[in-house]
Amino acid sequence: MSSSQPSETDDVDVEPETETESFTGTGLPRVEDRRILTGKAEYIHDVTPENCLHMALVRSMHAHADVVSIDTSAAEDHPDCELVLTAADVKAEYGPMPVGIPEVETDDGVATLEEWSLADEKVRFVGEPVAVVVASDRYAAEDVADLVDVEYDPRDAVADGMEAREDEVLVHDDVGTNVVDGERLEFGDLDDAFEEADHVVSGEYSWGRISGVPLETAGVVAQYDDETDSFDIDCNIQLHTLVDEMIHEPLGYDADDVRVNVPADVGGSYGTKIGIHRYCCLAAMASKELERPVKFNEDRLENLQGGDMHSSDREYEMRLAVDDDGTMRGLDVWFVDDFGAFPRYPVNQVLKPLSVLTNSYEIDHVGYEYELVLTNKTSQTAYRGFGVDPHIYALEMIVDEAAREIGIDPTEFRRRNLITPDQLPYTLPSKNIYDSGDYPATLDRIEEIIADERDGGLLDPEVVAERREEGKYRGVQPSVIIEPGVSGSDWTDRQRTENDELEERSRDEVDELPEHLRATVREDGTVQAYLATDSSGQGHQTLVSQLLADELGVLPSDIEVDYLDSVDAPTEYGSAASRMAVMLSGATVGLAERVGEAAERVAADHWDVSTDDVAYQDGAVDRIGGDESLSLAELAAVDAERDVEDRELTGVSYNYDHPATEHEEFDEAFTRKFPVYPTAAFGANAPIVEVDSRTGEVDILKFYTVRDCGTMLNPMIVEGQAHGGIAQGVGAALLEEFGYEDDGQPQAITLFDYLLPSIENVPEIEMEHTETPSPYTETGAKGVGEGGMIDAPASIATSINAALEPIGADEPADRIPVAPDHLLEKVREAEDESEDDA
Amino acid sequence: MSTDATGDYDERVTEEITVTVNGEEVTAEVEPRLKLSDFLRNECGLNGVRVGCEHGVCGACTVEQDGRTVKSCLSYAVQADGAEIETVEGLTDEAESEDGSLHPIQEAFHETHALQCGFCTSGFVMATKELLEENPDPTREEIEEGLADNICRCTGYQNIYEAVERAAEEMRE
Repeated sequence: MSSSQPSETDDVDVEPETETESFTGTGLPRVEDRRILTGKAEYIHDVTPENCLHMALVRSMHAHADVVSIDTSAAEDHPDCELVLTAADVKAEYGPMPVGIPEVETDDGVATLEEWSLADEKVRFVGEPVAVVVASDRYAAEDVADLVDVEYDPRDAVADGMEAREDEVLVHDDVGTNVVDGERLEFGDLDDAFEEADHVVSGEYSWGRISGVPLETAGVVAQYDDETDSFDIDCNIQLHTLVDEMIHEPLGYDADDVRVNVPADVGGSYGTKIGIHRYCCLAAMASKELERPVKFNEDRLENLQGGDMHSSDREYEMRLAVDDDGTMRGLDVWFVDDFGAFPRYPVNQVLKPLSVLTNSYEIDHVGYEYELVLTNKTSQTAYRGFGVDPHIYALEMIVDEAAREIGIDPTEFRRRNLITPDQLPYTLPSKNIYDSGDYPATLDRIEEIIADERDGGLLDPEVVAERREEGKYRGVQPSVIIEPGVSGSDWTDRQRTENDELEERSRDEVDELPEHLRATVREDGTVQAYLATDSSGQGHQTLVSQLLADELGVLPSDIEVDYLDSVDAPTEYGSAASRMAVMLSGATVGLAERVGEAAERVAADHWDVSTDDVAYQDGAVDRIGGDESLSLAELAAVDAERDVEDRELTGVSYNYDHPATEHEEFDEAFTRKFPVYPTAAFGANAPIVEVDSRTGEVDILKFYTVRDCGTMLNPMIVEGQAHGGIAQGVGAALLEEFGYEDDGQPQAITLFDYLLPSIENVPEIEMEHTETPSPYTETGAKGVGEGGMIDAPASIATSINAALEPIGADEPADRIPVAPDHLLEKVREAEDESEDDA
Repeated sequence: MSTDATGDYDERVTEEITVTVNGEEVTAEVEPRLKLSDFLRNECGLNGVRVGCEHGVCGACTVEQDGRTVKSCLSYAVQADGAEIETVEGLTDEAESEDGSLHPIQEAFHETHALQCGFCTSGFVMATKELLEENPDPTREEIEEGLADNICRCTGYQNIYEAVERAAEEMRE
């Protein structure tokens, strides 16, 4: 090929139409959509290799019982049965699964906590897997599973976090206590603040057990290769390049021998699917035994009752120290989080609230104490918000309670304590930093919107009075709520480090995982990029193609985005913790620069000139001062003639460092136990609620929200994330709960019981945005994925409080979900009290 | 599968059915207990039929049977003997011309960002099709009623309203 061949870019007089346009910042429709809309997307449930066998699980129907015996003979006699595995088989060949808290300090020393992929001597929750069966198809596998005869000796169970603290029933006998972790942290002069304050207000709030419940359940296809003694594991686990150790460690293999691959399309996760490694391990073991591919699709009942996928389940006791003038002087937080039977990976859900400890308020003196308890329930996993949602809810509840107790308007009370723009960047007592924003202006704007509704709208005094005649109470109570964005990975290690060890730890020892992105220029000049993490609906392929197109000066359609498996990708954090807008955009900018530089080197080498004499621009390298130009296609062809190891345009990679590592301001947090979340997106919600005092039902008439997540890379996707988060917040606030009987029997094992919000439950959402770029990130973007789930439940709860204020109900939304029976009780209590007063 | 009195296992009983799926006649030997959803996915290769709950709540498996939407996880394949079934794949075949265009409903979902993870999308598209066939210009309340049997966990439904309205407009023209 000849470099003198004219290319389109030679014609410098004609500017490409797209030159002045930018794809970033526009709502570019997604590249993921077409395959999904036509039914051609391949989710894990659709992966069925030839010769594939199917796995089913035998699960405990008891919450707590000794396993006396397991008789597998009838199952093994079934003609379709290929394999039965029990704990004995697993223990003979493999190791236990990693737990979040491997050792517990007890009075007698240190006790070890172990979790096996199949229950051994006793079962600890309903749905805990006891045996694996494999058969020719799933129907047959379920037949065979029914023939496994497990004899149990039931024990008393404990299914309540507060009760579990009493240690009357022990979930792990050897550990000797159900409280396996806990700590009290104090910031400032807490005692002084509470002694000197004019008022100390206290309240108890309850956050029911909820979770993400994606429509696609967990799935895995494991294939063992006898020749290489290695595994290929296709599954829909979340963060496959971070948590692959949860799979290869129990199997006893090196990371390189267990290739974990996640399909490009995953049917939702919201954090929950980081915890599906049990299934991956079991399918892998069965595949190795049978030397055939083994597939497992969790069914919905398994998922809801024993799928290791519930999340935060907390009881709070909050205290707020307040002066007569409405100054918040001190905050004291105490809570218990019921983690279920095993403390799995997300044990730091109890610490993430430290990243937004006082929400949008300036409170200098704060106590924070938690107890992490185990019960006879399925184990917790991560869920959108990662433990921040209950904290914000409890905090906004005590703020409401304090306002009423000292007789200040709740909005005015909030306004007086807001962190102001001149205080930003603002360092919290717990050392995380809020980067940028104007919280008072956001509160003002949402107040304007509410004022409009009071003037002839949904909250017009006449309308409100009329509705009250029918027993229907309307109200709204906004607040400004922060969404911490862009977790690092290091604090999960720091959480498990003793405090005195941390004292000696230097900043240099902090090891954050960067975001890895890779690209190859193909011979047709298009670019193949590779993500080192997985996606579950966030549109990462679209985001990378639009950003990379802008940076390289090409079209998004010239870029294809694929995914790396756990062996080809470096270990990195991945899609969680409102990270990807910041991390992917930072990585894309850096990668584009690397691709441009590589292209320049190829061109300079080809023309035998210095790289100073060439310049990459808009999909081609021009020779400065000459009229020669090489397009990306031409450069790829030149590059392809080199030896493979010398190629410049193949496997170009860039690692975008976690933004906080670049800023000394975060050093103090980094060297201690505290989470670092360097972006603070924020918003204020005004859900206008109507409570029917005769039925206890809550109708959200309209949901206003004013939000700021810094620079919006794709506003369409940003809005979609906010809509979805708010909808999940509506579910959390009003509908969803994994209830349990006292004996540990789960009450919500179908979607008839665990109520996901339908189109009828989610109100019209009217959204406005402001854009305050983050000073800490490459593109000014802030985290955006979790916001709605973090702020909507609190806003709905405070709005319910406001609605029922006229009947004197005492913080009626003091438990989440605010179910009709609970509200009705609150209304009746209030009515009884007012009758007594009369 | 059941055992007889002597403990021997019965052969797995099957029945022959003929179903017209997306315009093509399919004849198959199926077990009476085979769900229609599994028949469409595993026997017909139509993975666009998504299975989310298998108890008729989520609506991801919604298909059209003889002109009416059904949740295919709630019926057995043998009950569809002689029926005409249309899945989301059929919708594209209908619309897909040489330029690869989508059905107006699919196009509207794409343009308005009415899908994220997409697992519920086939069901929503099929439910929307039935809604618009019965009511070419639905109000927001009618959209709500028409799509109340389908769950979406990602979008909060806001853009789904937009998609239905845009598709309705397009299809009326």
